[in-house]
Amino acid sequence: MKMKRIAALGVSAMMAASVLTACGGPGSSTPASTPASGSTGGSTGEEITLKVATWDNTSNPSVQNAVDAFMAANPNIKVELMDIPSADYTTKLTTMLNGGADMDAFFVKDADTTKSLADKGQLADLTEYISADGVDLAAYNGLAENFNYDGKQYGLPARTDYYVMFYNKDMFDAKGMEYPSNDWTWADFEEMAKQLTGDGKYGAFIHTWQACVMNWAVQDGKHTIMDYETGYDFFKPYYEMVLRMQDEGSIQSYGELKSANIHYSGPFAQGTVGMMPMGTWYMATIIEAVKNGESTVNWGVATIPHPEGVEAGWTVGSATPMCINANTDKKDAAWELVKFVTGEEGAAEYAKVGAIPGRADDAAIAEIAAMEGMPEGTAEALKVTNISLDRPIVDKVADVNQMLGEQHSLIMLEQDTIDNVLASMAEQAEAIING
Amino acid sequence: MTTQKTQKKAKGLSLNTRNTLVGMTFILPNFIGFLTFTLVPVVFSFILSFMKWDGFNEMQFVAFNNFAKIFKDPNFRNSLVLTLEYTVFTVLFSMAAALSLAILLNNKLRFVNFFRSAIFFPYVASIVAVGCVWKAMFMKNGGVVNALLGVFLPDSALPGWLADVDWALPAVIIVSVWKNMGYFMIIYLAALQDIPYSLYEAAEIDGATKWQQFRRITFPMLTPSHFFVLMMLIINSFKVFDLIFMLTEGGPGTATQLLSMYIYNKSFISWDYGVASAAAMILFLIVGGITLIQFRVEKKFNDFM
Repeated sequence: MKMKRIAALGVSAMMAASVLTACGGPGSSTPASTPASGSTGGSTGEEITLKVATWDNTSNPSVQNAVDAFMAANPNIKVELMDIPSADYTTKLTTMLNGGADMDAFFVKDADTTKSLADKGQLADLTEYISADGVDLAAYNGLAENFNYDGKQYGLPARTDYYVMFYNKDMFDAKGMEYPSNDWTWADFEEMAKQLTGDGKYGAFIHTWQACVMNWAVQDGKHTIMDYETGYDFFKPYYEMVLRMQDEGSIQSYGELKSANIHYSGPFAQGTVGMMPMGTWYMATIIEAVKNGESTVNWGVATIPHPEGVEAGWTVGSATPMCINANTDKKDAAWELVKFVTGEEGAAEYAKVGAIPGRADDAAIAEIAAMEGMPEGTAEALKVTNISLDRPIVDKVADVNQMLGEQHSLIMLEQDTIDNVLASMAEQAEAIING
Repeated sequence: MTTQKTQKKAKGLSLNTRNTLVGMTFILPNFIGFLTFTLVPVVFSFILSFMKWDGFNEMQFVAFNNFAKIFKDPNFRNSLVLTLEYTVFTVLFSMAAALSLAILLNNKLRFVNFFRSAIFFPYVASIVAVGCVWKAMFMKNGGVVNALLGVFLPDSALPGWLADVDWALPAVIIVSVWKNMGYFMIIYLAALQDIPYSLYEAAEIDGATKWQQFRRITFPMLTPSHFFVLMMLIINSFKVFDLIFMLTEGGPGTATQLLSMYIYNKSFISWDYGVASAAAMILFLIVGGITLIQFRVEKKFNDFM
């Protein structure tokens, strides 16, 4: 009779409903809590507290440092970070926004959800602030356009991450092999992985996310995961490659990784895998692990391999925008924070701890590469000519991605042929996109 | 005497009303919880099932559109069939296991209390811990389950369990039977101890075998317990969520995407509360319908007994 599911659904719905009425629209907020206006903000004596949502704050200091620098520069604005576990972040953020939680600004972890947040009217339009303060969007290397819908800018890229190849230098040395260059193909990668395998070690590590196979198929920027019309034939070569590697034992199988709940950082940090394509976010983690003595891996980083016929330096990645809650009554102060974090000062703070800021220029890359614990050659490896988005920012991408994830497991567990599964992906994607 | 006294104090309230009031005060704490966390959300979800809503913007009334959408969705039909399969097998095996264990542990064995607690333990264990352990035990290579099966079966015949579309659901059923049986065993045990020993004595004098005693005395005497166990199991099976979420997250593919998982995906991945609520309503109707039928049948049976 009682159903937990319904109850949970209903409860979150109820919360949202009650808050909708409580907010009563932007006009009814009490004047006392509104910061004294003045478009540059922050110059009043009154202390303002901003609440900002972020994830895994303890393991990644970039946001904390940028916020600390902001508070030092703006003594009358206090920023409280709400730290949420990364796995729950997207769900929690949506629930909090739907529920009208007291939150002024936030980072969007899955950039492709930005569009739906904007469509729901949960993001403040930053266009006027941007033109008033003369923020140059060109500084974001084309990433800012991903958060512009119908001519309105809803967020600024605070950080970007893209896929690079992490490798274990000791394993290459042991086999007398040369380290990967920054101009190499996926075929080279497969061959090297094969040679590195042995003595209980795997040549490579392909994580269980569908992104770790599908990304290489959208790397050339010609397709996105929404292009079902082609029957997803562009995924095929990469699935074939990964299955071959799985069969040969040069990577640990998907089934084992799943059933043992293996996180990608484990095997690489323990030095049991030769190469791992992973996002640049992992650099900070591994530096920290080496510094703490949790890991003794002697690691290096190279540009991600490219498909045959594609220029070196094309990679796949995403951007993390910082947005302002449309319902906050502290918009001016929140904008000051967003401007700071996504601006030059914030970028410098990000770069100092090895995170790539949204406005990544040569100076920022050089700063990152010069960080303590970064291996040699990082600056060259991080130089990329194009970042294709792993998930395009369009409607229904979350649903398609969920479906692709389900189907991905069928291929990786060899439950059905690649052709059958790709056909089924295309069929389901069509139903989702046109349904 | 006492009644007269209290009646004077109560200033016109009849004894009946007062008793009702006292009774209501006692159930009030529970009822407030039920009202806030169950009844209101259920009603709200009912309304939502006729709406299009993303959780933030204004709701739009769409009549039966959500239901039409659901019935067109092959994923929904798939999850409905899977839920039925899961329920049928979980209920049958859990009942059989609980009853056999209860009969076994109703005998005077050594360490009987230890065995009873051991079998009850899975029911109290945290589902997250249980999920992690079973996931490791079900590993295709190196898992405990396949290591044991490997003694009797050739390697090629060993199932992939959670990593295999055909075996994932049976694996989940095994875990839930293992988790359920302890609790229902206790219920059967209590009922078994209520059966008068004289019945068995009489049967033995008449020369009945053990099997006949079970069929003609034990099994029918347990009828009220059967109903209770059956009903609880069916309801629990239809709404199972945590176990699936821990073990497979609905995979591989959609091989274990039961109704509750489907509802979860629709609400927390697609953010389509309308469709999710419509699916939840269908689940509600199924469970409600089964419960009603059981109440009716049980009443008839009990009258008959």
